[in-house]
Amino acid sequence: MTFDFVEPVVFALLSIGVIAGGVAVVMLNRITAAALLMAFTFLCMAGMFVLLGAETIAAFQVLIYVGAITVLILYGVMFTKFSDGPRALFFQKQTPIAAVFVAAVAVPIVIVGTVSFTSAPPRPGGGDLPALATSVFTDFAFPFEIASVLLLAAMVGAIVLTRRDDPEEAAMRRRR
Amino acid sequence: MPVGPFGIDPFIWAPLRLVIAVGLALFLVLNGALLQIYLERKIQAIIQDRLGPYHVGPFGLLQTFADALKLISKEDVRAAATDGWFFVAAPALVFCPMLASWAVLPFAQDIVGTNLNIGLLYLTTLGSMTVLGIVIAGWASNNKYALVGGLRSAGQLISYEIPQILALVSVALVVGSLSMIDITRSQTGPFVNVLILPFSFLIYFIAALAETNRTPFDLPEAESELVAGWLTEYSGMRWGTMLALSEYGNVTVVCAIITTLWFGGWQGPGVDAIPLLGVLWFTLKVYGFIVLMMWIRATLPRLRIDQLMSFCWKGLIPMALVNIVAVATLALAFPNSLVPIAIANWALVVVFVAGIPFVQRRRLKTLRARARASAAPAVHAAS
Repeated sequence: MTFDFVEPVVFALLSIGVIAGGVAVVMLNRITAAALLMAFTFLCMAGMFVLLGAETIAAFQVLIYVGAITVLILYGVMFTKFSDGPRALFFQKQTPIAAVFVAAVAVPIVIVGTVSFTSAPPRPGGGDLPALATSVFTDFAFPFEIASVLLLAAMVGAIVLTRRDDPEEAAMRRRR
Repeated sequence: MPVGPFGIDPFIWAPLRLVIAVGLALFLVLNGALLQIYLERKIQAIIQDRLGPYHVGPFGLLQTFADALKLISKEDVRAAATDGWFFVAAPALVFCPMLASWAVLPFAQDIVGTNLNIGLLYLTTLGSMTVLGIVIAGWASNNKYALVGGLRSAGQLISYEIPQILALVSVALVVGSLSMIDITRSQTGPFVNVLILPFSFLIYFIAALAETNRTPFDLPEAESELVAGWLTEYSGMRWGTMLALSEYGNVTVVCAIITTLWFGGWQGPGVDAIPLLGVLWFTLKVYGFIVLMMWIRATLPRLRIDQLMSFCWKGLIPMALVNIVAVATLALAFPNSLVPIAIANWALVVVFVAGIPFVQRRRLKTLRARARASAAPAVHAAS
């Protein structure tokens, strides 16, 4: 007897988690719940990466998206205005247009995905780390560097936008 | 019929092994927390010239058991305005990542949950997930002290994760593996990694104190300013799960990482003859660092949030980056010898330790000058 039946079952559970989590993030009124469910969706995605034998990418997915980005979103939510009353759905009026746009993006992705990604996944059971590192630092070195420059520019921009004045100067100005 | 370990059918052994492993991890977490609370009380009592617990059981050993029983039997209190499911989910969100990290801790040669080839990355990942639970707890409590505690912890934990990971990178550079087993195996004999990479150990230890909310970095739950920070609204076993189990479990995990990466893990005298002796060495080393953390807690006062942040972003992160550049360059230049890396690292330790008073004096000088400059016009106006 083998455990072959486990993988499709796990995949089905993870798919349900990803889709249901994503739908709930969009539909829910409570923004904290949406943030937490987004973390859940990211976790399910990480599970899918593990199924594909890409444990390293799964670990980075959790490390960056669950551990840092969701926390930053929650951090932002706590600083925004919060009211308890039931509110109308944000996307109420745009639903038909939104459906058209989603279809326009999703249908080509599904078609391309089913047609072109036919290669076998990397061998399961780990060992994807050296392959990943090699491809990042050889074939994809240029995009990698471009991404880092972009992130650096974003960081500098954020600092410039949110920079406070020198407290001493501000105090002097107040006194005047 | 195939026969697995202990003459059990592998089909039964696979789930049985899982059950045993989870049961053992839970047992160790629960008892470790009880033991560490007792140690914390006794060690602080000794340092502060008190007696500590001594009524219940011999030397007060059963005091923490009594406390745990009290917590379990306590009424489950929930304030009316707390945020429903989040309030209930937060303790689990803090507890589960901590429990999951026990899967890769190598207690001895073959006593390890699983030999994951990205073990170190896995532990870092789980460590970063704790923040989510703390922030949710602070938010769901609907209490201003809890919210401030949650916000502080979000800032602190995300910031200190960076030097922590950078310190781990230098070890991975030298060892060439992320598996906890391989890292332990690479340190045979007396030349453990701390002699080669003392500076990354120093950075990791400081960042780990902040990651586990230990004094002097216990700002998220600062008792004297925030009641209990993000734990304010919790009581009974919810509080017990979050504070006692998760915090002490995290301390144990962090100390286990330090032991494995820099102090040779399970290795010690007599391990080759009796492999089970490794468990003893590993536990002794881990508890050595736990006691060191308690000693620091009883010695140092709490930092202010701006001091905490500027120390991380202006002190630890640049030094960790310098450390990585130095280790990577020397590892490329001298692929067969670890001596240049060791020399560079010890030099960095000296620079860091000697630099702190220097930087501190300059900072104080600017602060005083600024205070004088802003005070002068006010005095002038008064006169």
